[in-house]
Amino acid sequence: MPFDPSSTDRAPQWRPQLRRRDVLRGGAFAAAGLGVAPLLAACGGDDDGGTPAGGDGAYPLARPDAPVTLPIFDDNQPIAAGQEPEKVDALRVLNYADYMAPGVKKDFQKKYGAEVQVTPYNNYDEMLTKISAPGAEFDVVFPGPSVMSRMVYGKLLQPFQQSYLTNLTNAWPEYQDPWYDQGSQYSVPYTVYTTGVGYRSDIVTDPSEGYQMLWNPDYAGKMGILDDAGEALGMAMLAWDITRDINTGDPEAINAAKEELNKLIPLGVKVDITQYETLANGKFHVHQAWSGDLVAARWYLAQGVTTEDLGYWIPEDKADVVIGNDNICIPKSSPSPVLAHAFINDLLDNTIAEKNFNWNGYQPPLTKLDADYLIEGGYISENLMSAVVVPEDFESGIKFYEQTPAVENMYLAAFQDFQSGGS
Amino acid sequence: MAVAEATKGGQKDAATRFLWPALAIPGTAWLLALFVLPFYGIMAVAFSSQLDILGQPIPAWNPLEWDFAVMRGVIDQSINGSYRSAWEHTFIYAAIAMALCVLIGYPVAYYVARLARGNRGLLLALILAPWWINYLTRMLSWVGILGDEGYANDIIGFFGFAKVDWLGGQWYVVVIALVYGYLPFFIVPLYAYLDRIDQHLIEASRDLGANTFRTFFRVTLPQSRIGLITAMVITALPMFGDYYTNTLVSNSPTTVMIGNSIEGTIQSGFSRGQGASLVLLLSAVLLFFMAYYLILTLRASREAR
Repeated sequence: MPFDPSSTDRAPQWRPQLRRRDVLRGGAFAAAGLGVAPLLAACGGDDDGGTPAGGDGAYPLARPDAPVTLPIFDDNQPIAAGQEPEKVDALRVLNYADYMAPGVKKDFQKKYGAEVQVTPYNNYDEMLTKISAPGAEFDVVFPGPSVMSRMVYGKLLQPFQQSYLTNLTNAWPEYQDPWYDQGSQYSVPYTVYTTGVGYRSDIVTDPSEGYQMLWNPDYAGKMGILDDAGEALGMAMLAWDITRDINTGDPEAINAAKEELNKLIPLGVKVDITQYETLANGKFHVHQAWSGDLVAARWYLAQGVTTEDLGYWIPEDKADVVIGNDNICIPKSSPSPVLAHAFINDLLDNTIAEKNFNWNGYQPPLTKLDADYLIEGGYISENLMSAVVVPEDFESGIKFYEQTPAVENMYLAAFQDFQSGGS
Repeated sequence: MAVAEATKGGQKDAATRFLWPALAIPGTAWLLALFVLPFYGIMAVAFSSQLDILGQPIPAWNPLEWDFAVMRGVIDQSINGSYRSAWEHTFIYAAIAMALCVLIGYPVAYYVARLARGNRGLLLALILAPWWINYLTRMLSWVGILGDEGYANDIIGFFGFAKVDWLGGQWYVVVIALVYGYLPFFIVPLYAYLDRIDQHLIEASRDLGANTFRTFFRVTLPQSRIGLITAMVITALPMFGDYYTNTLVSNSPTTVMIGNSIEGTIQSGFSRGQGASLVLLLSAVLLFFMAYYLILTLRASREAR
């Protein structure tokens, strides 16, 4: 029976544990689940929203046309309003490496006396492992929409006390009430980005090859892909026309994508997420990349290399572009939740966000910092215009959605096969 | 003090009865807390059949609930699947690295133990010097040497050769890094054994007309056999589990070793069960080598008696 996740007074019907066999049986199971999702969406009309799509109903799967209001549990309530930030030595942040400007961290330390300490991860899977480790305590974390439900239902996040987040009004209107977290109860936006291919325009002769640049033997040994199961397999699907649905639960499509990735192994593919640095310093000539990486690359240029030598390819048709956003949330384990709120509110401040963007290259979805503003500000050079994201791109672009554990694990297992040397 | 008084009081038996086991307590506690318990934890994860909401295995602490489906899958994948190449790489790289260790390490140990005389202290210090430097730092120095713009490419570039992509997933670079990293661990125990060989045996061999080579192969080498095997075991065990050396100098699926597979699966929550199973498998493989080594040394010490 379907449940309405928006009603908080009723205990949601989800099984706290799902049997491993279910997951191992993933294939058919997931295909059935995913088959249902678009069907339900297509039926439409259910304005109460958030019909749990997917097979096992452990958590609702949000989609732009099926938004989800995440529940607030009795034992996981927002903190009280009107408190002073905790006086502590450190604010513990779980985040990608090099994803926040050192200057922003220093300013925060000056203001509140707490040093911002970052524990890095390479992908959400690693983030989930670290945040759910017994005894782990973090104050701030940066998950994307594709893990929001799981983290809330797994009680890894705490709901915001909205009264501390006065700067949320600076955000793009669509991010003040996003489809994956109606009412922004658990998340505010951090950055928006597309996924494409970063390359060295002084070396790559034909960037119109697009994703297939990565499979071009000319760049063997100088080429890498993102250390992220969804991004890597999704790109293989798009590059070789396996499917346009990068959220597919079809085992054959996932397997076909894996086979394509396996072809990169003899070409000496590397799997990492430091392309902002390694494209700039020449270690790589072609690397799957997020748009922000190419903007940030100007801080890592080797001698004799300029931003003119960098290129960022995304499909010409905006409808074919993979687009996404990262959020800022407060883990339930946070020892300093008031300070964490203050930190998040700072990151939504126009001036601080601009300073942060100047360093990390990832666009914050704040109304004031729109494309024109950033280009006029000289943050993005002429040849990297393709790295700019505008709100309209989200309407048509391809997005990663939250999956059932079964489908999620199919992607992770396929990626692991590839990383283990291919089979 | 207390012991001395107890002996004086004529309670020697009681004192020793409690003293010796008491001395074993710290070691036993250490072993229990930091080996047995974690190892049981690994088994509980490997044999778990329940997943939490994030798809991560919930440890099955009760052996009655153990489920071996994941383990079976991992064995399957190891024999004929995605882990096969990792196992192959591990065995091949470790074997080649071991052979190189013997070729490089034995002469060095031999020289220091038997021929160095006055310089021995200095040479030993030089061999041990790398231990004063963090392993990670030593490995990172290879990244500097073998990088695209590193010294190695500078040198071969000077002679007009094309640049080599050393760090682009070359198996021989992984082997070289392994040898470099573990060579001191190989030389020092071997040196200790070679140093202990009775000089008179060698002199006797020469007196009886054997030449240098014959003496070496008939006397020195057999006498140092256990030392050689000890040195090989000491270096082989960490090589089998090593992943970071590989990550630093290659980080490519072309050279993935079993340590890398384990690291990957442990860092990824969903496959922690597989990672735990791989750890158990690797332990079983190493236990096999360990057992062989123990039998050899046991036999040798019995012969010596």
